[in-house]
Amino acid sequence: MENSTISTSSYLTFKLDQESFALHVSKVLEILEVTQITKVPQSPDYMRGVVNLRGNVLPVIDTRAKFGLSSAEFTVDTCIVVLDITSNEGAVTLGALVDSVQEVAEISNDQVQPPPKIGNKYNAEFINGMVKREEGFTMLLDIDKVFTTDEITFLRESGETLPTD
Amino acid sequence: MDQFKAKFREEAGDLLAALEKALLKLEQDFSDTKVIEEVFRVMHTLKGNSAMFELHFTENLTHHLETIFDNIREGKQQLSPEILDISLASIDHLRYLLDDETLEAPKGRAKHEELLTRVVALSLDSSAPVSANDAAVDQRGGLAKTFFITFKPKPDLLKNGSNPLYIIEDLHALGQCKAIPYAKNIPGLPAIDPAVCYISWGILLSTVSGVSEIHDVFLFVEDDAIIEIDLLGEGDFFAKSAFDVAVEKMKAAAEPLGLKQVKQLFEVQQKKEEKENAKAKEQQISSIRVSSDKLDKLMNLVSEMVTTQARLSLFVDQNHNAELLSISEEVENITRRLRDNTFSICLIPIEHLFVRFERLVRDLSRELKKDIQFVMEGGETELDKSIIESLTDPILHILRNCIDHGIEPEAKRIATDKPAKGKILLSAYYTGAYVNIKIEDDGAGIDPEKIKAKAIAKRLIPEDAALGKAEIFDLLFVPGFSTASKVTEISGRGVGMDVVKRKIAELRGDIFVDSEIGKGTAMTIQLPLTLSVIDGFLVKVANTHYVIPIGVIDRCYEIKRSELENSLHETVTLDGQRIPFIDLKNRLGHAETPGDAGNKALEYEHVITVYYNDKKIGLVVDTIIGEYQAVLKPLGKMYKDQDTMSGATILGDGTIALVMDTAKTANKFLSENNLKTV
Repeated sequence: MENSTISTSSYLTFKLDQESFALHVSKVLEILEVTQITKVPQSPDYMRGVVNLRGNVLPVIDTRAKFGLSSAEFTVDTCIVVLDITSNEGAVTLGALVDSVQEVAEISNDQVQPPPKIGNKYNAEFINGMVKREEGFTMLLDIDKVFTTDEITFLRESGETLPTD
Repeated sequence: MDQFKAKFREEAGDLLAALEKALLKLEQDFSDTKVIEEVFRVMHTLKGNSAMFELHFTENLTHHLETIFDNIREGKQQLSPEILDISLASIDHLRYLLDDETLEAPKGRAKHEELLTRVVALSLDSSAPVSANDAAVDQRGGLAKTFFITFKPKPDLLKNGSNPLYIIEDLHALGQCKAIPYAKNIPGLPAIDPAVCYISWGILLSTVSGVSEIHDVFLFVEDDAIIEIDLLGEGDFFAKSAFDVAVEKMKAAAEPLGLKQVKQLFEVQQKKEEKENAKAKEQQISSIRVSSDKLDKLMNLVSEMVTTQARLSLFVDQNHNAELLSISEEVENITRRLRDNTFSICLIPIEHLFVRFERLVRDLSRELKKDIQFVMEGGETELDKSIIESLTDPILHILRNCIDHGIEPEAKRIATDKPAKGKILLSAYYTGAYVNIKIEDDGAGIDPEKIKAKAIAKRLIPEDAALGKAEIFDLLFVPGFSTASKVTEISGRGVGMDVVKRKIAELRGDIFVDSEIGKGTAMTIQLPLTLSVIDGFLVKVANTHYVIPIGVIDRCYEIKRSELENSLHETVTLDGQRIPFIDLKNRLGHAETPGDAGNKALEYEHVITVYYNDKKIGLVVDTIIGEYQAVLKPLGKMYKDQDTMSGATILGDGTIALVMDTAKTANKFLSENNLKTV
């Protein structure tokens, strides 16, 4: 997005609560239906548990909890987005629980606007930019950063009250 | 060719390790001819192999080393500490040569030249043969015969002017000779007559000369003594390994032994020897080399097999079919055996690891001018090879600490009434489902007060912290903590023990410290036997499955819920013993799990007693499902902060069960209160 030339990338958009988010498809491995999730004791609330991904153990993160949103019942639309995250300690594969997956959208970099500094209830650190689409704004997430911090400070401290870990 | 070369490298690495071990052994006992033989043999093999691959530098160096040991073997040269030093240094250089065979680096070349000059100088320095006769015998070794001579002088031998000692000396001139004196007939001091010979001899003589030549030696005493010369057998008995043992036995006898007895001694010993050799040969044939990649693949396949088999078992449970059931049971049985077998293939004795340390301790203790006796025990203890590989660095670090900080300088040791020579004991042993590696020194020990003061100074703990001894020692593993007030080259950079702890934790192990001021320190590393597949007990708590490793389980009980609820300090009486328990449902956060309400009504609960340190504790679970082979899968980095679960495993129906680390669970949940009641 820092490039001045125009290029288009594919993004997967999904919904949490009423908000729309997008992440780069290169980070997405696959999308799973929700199966039985085994909770691991002594782990933070946003760590929903682990599931079996073809013989391997996949940790599942409750994205709502991670973003500081209230938790919701699972619906037929709830699914797990399997992501490849790069952290300081190397690559990690994890699943992110989202309310529903929308579509794969082509977004060109000239559509991307910087996140507004004021009046945004989300922490700009985790957002690469915003895109105006028919149904409203979609936030492009810096997914590596979102899932490698331990805190739930995605929501701005000033915006809403949130539980701290 | 490249693949052969790789094979050569691998083999050469092994040979060098064997050589190093042999040399260190030789250092303890210079006269061990067996080991000298081994050193020579290994050198010879190395030389031959490197010549085949045209590695001239390696060949050249090993050739000269071989010459030295050949000389020693033949008694033409004395083994000296200098030779050992240069041999060990050469091993290091040869290892280097394996990587840089053409000596492209100038530094390596210089080192090579230097070593070579020293080795050549030593090999030329073969001082005059120790004994001309020995050499002669050896050269004509095939012709040598061994005689047994009984020499019993009559009392008046001395009066005739003969000296039996001269005769024995003459015998020595004929070849290898061992005279064993029997002094039983010497009377008490008042009755002794200095002119009477009371002593008799049993003599073993290996010579190329015949009976007549031996008789000639006794020519002048023939009438004054009983002389029996018997052929013990063809060949040089002195070269036989049985010789020493037989001689010891002859010495131990009060009376001079007869020929028959001596013959027997050798035969018995010989047979034993042959048996051992035969065994060694069998072992050589019955082992093959397999690359560890192949083993890893095999292990993975077996893991998948175990998982698939679990699915089959589940399917059979749900679909009743007698024939299918018997097949499934058979498959289960075979899978289990296959798993155990594969697993045992991946186990290697910890000896491999220990040998490396022997050298390190030797070098370090020299460098620091501390005389240290390094003892290793339990080298035969087997451990998964992947664990062994990851253990080198942590143990290395601990050993360095022992030598650098633990063992005091000699002067100080003497001042505190300790033996001047420090001692480090490295031992390995099994306890339950764990392997323990203990590193003990008899050094200065660790002062808990000092640690505490330092931790406070470094603001690692609050000033008023009340800590037990074990907790204080745990501070050693806190990042940024180092007790050495002076940073030395070897240890004490402050990055150490925390890394050690982390590395061991990665292996699902733990480390404990115990120390007494002035007496020494012991560090115990506790490791699981395996990293991949474990036998466990499948249980259910609320709606989550857990696997408890079978190695820690004592037994299972069924008790009334009310008994648990009314308990004091969370203890329960089982078989007349008060045992603290952990109610997993509450402790693991399942109490408020939705859909769990029905469980509350359970009248009976199951308690599984497990070993915890040397005590027993109870784990309360809802349902016991049964034995289960769990293929351990790591929970991954996202769960690195939790340690009560050592991993997860996939059940037959595709859901996940968590594998519990009972020791860590107990550490976490047992309160001070109920531990006291144990």
